[in-house]
Amino acid sequence: MGEVIVITSGKGGVGKTTTTANIGTGLAMEGKKVAIVDADIGLRNLDVVMGLENRIVYDIVDVVRKECRLKQGLIKDKRFEGLFLLPAAQTKDKTAVSPAQMVELCNELREMFDYVIIDCPAGIEQGFQNAIAGADKAIVVTTPEISAVRDADRVIGLLEAKGLHNPKLIVNRIRPDMVKKGDMMNIDDMKDILAIDLIGVIPDDEAIVISTNKGEPVIIDNKTMSGQAYRNIVKRIMGEEVPLLELDADEGVFSKLRKLFFGK
Amino acid sequence: MSQSLVTFKGNQNGIYILIKDGNFQKIKEQLESNLKKAGSFFEGAKVVSIKGKNLSREEKEELKGIIINKFGIDVDEDSDSIDDETAKVETPQFQFFEGIDEGYTKFVRATIRSGQTVESEGNLVIIGDVNPGGVVMAKGNIVILGALRGIAHAGSDGNREAIVAAFYLQPTQLRIANIIARRPDDEIEYSKWPEIARVEDDAVIIETYLPKNK
Repeated sequence: MGEVIVITSGKGGVGKTTTTANIGTGLAMEGKKVAIVDADIGLRNLDVVMGLENRIVYDIVDVVRKECRLKQGLIKDKRFEGLFLLPAAQTKDKTAVSPAQMVELCNELREMFDYVIIDCPAGIEQGFQNAIAGADKAIVVTTPEISAVRDADRVIGLLEAKGLHNPKLIVNRIRPDMVKKGDMMNIDDMKDILAIDLIGVIPDDEAIVISTNKGEPVIIDNKTMSGQAYRNIVKRIMGEEVPLLELDADEGVFSKLRKLFFGK
Repeated sequence: MSQSLVTFKGNQNGIYILIKDGNFQKIKEQLESNLKKAGSFFEGAKVVSIKGKNLSREEKEELKGIIINKFGIDVDEDSDSIDDETAKVETPQFQFFEGIDEGYTKFVRATIRSGQTVESEGNLVIIGDVNPGGVVMAKGNIVILGALRGIAHAGSDGNREAIVAAFYLQPTQLRIANIIARRPDDEIEYSKWPEIARVEDDAVIIETYLPKNK
């Protein structure tokens, strides 16, 4: 029986879709059977990030309305065995699907896959309600900006109200140099406010922009910092204990030693 | 219509209808036209009380009759005597929750996040943080065993003796009774000590309440 994980944030543009694509791909790289579901009906783009746009025939609306079989709607990934995408519809809107239908869909997917990763739309309206309806767990993505953290806080509250307790936090697009200078919120500030467990920190990385435009998740690339960060998150999702990435490349020996002895 | 004689209010129990002083014929007309305008909005709802200080029992029964017979809305008043009392409370001498040192207290063990509101009819104790965008309100005191970063309103129905205390008092806005204080626009250095806010001379003041042993 698989696990359904929704990736959400409240605010738009913080990296939900990128995170969904990378976590999905990463889990498939580990040999798991994975379905990634684009719940952003009307603004679909998970397929673009995955480079699978040209293969779409049926979409999530066709599937929940039983206009095609679930297997017909699932698009097989071009790189990894065991990875499938269920794309959103582009010509409909969020009201085309109901939370009850999403629950049914998730239950069906859960039987077929080890992991089902749902890409939630921005906002807290029906699209959000649909995306979280069938989920067992949630991952909240935020960036180190007050507005994104505020929205994340709101979303955590809504998730808890729907019975999705203890969501995990991903801090995306952090710039260690700016944090050091005090120009950017640091991770502890965010953990302090949101009071949920951190599951990963992704550095701001040009490689993400390049990989997104190529339709090739960055996690495949062994040389990138952000790819490494995503690989660690994937391991943590599978239950392994992996220490947080040392993002500070030019850190001195002394401070490293201090961290070693005194923790953070 | 210069001013409305009939006002509808709702809470989780049902709908309250408040009637102001005025010509009874006008009141009847307004009630009917308001209900007509609302259409199916009140369908399935229940009117729990009709309040009006100068309404006679007969007049009230007549209004009830209109609501039940013409619009098919349930009227379920507990008893008229209670009703008359509440109507009286609304007149000059305003009463508020007075339990400052003791009384009804609500305990909430959770983080109050953006968009969430917690209210108490008496005192309120939050075991957790109140985040920016979160609101806590109590007719009595508010004590937060954590950080207050959102909005707190103590003595919310007029009690100026009410206080707000928190381990980290960093509210966006602090209200006690009808006095509102807000965080300064400039960056400020927050105390690392638990603090208490109260009203003194029409202003909210904040002070530590533990002896500092620096």
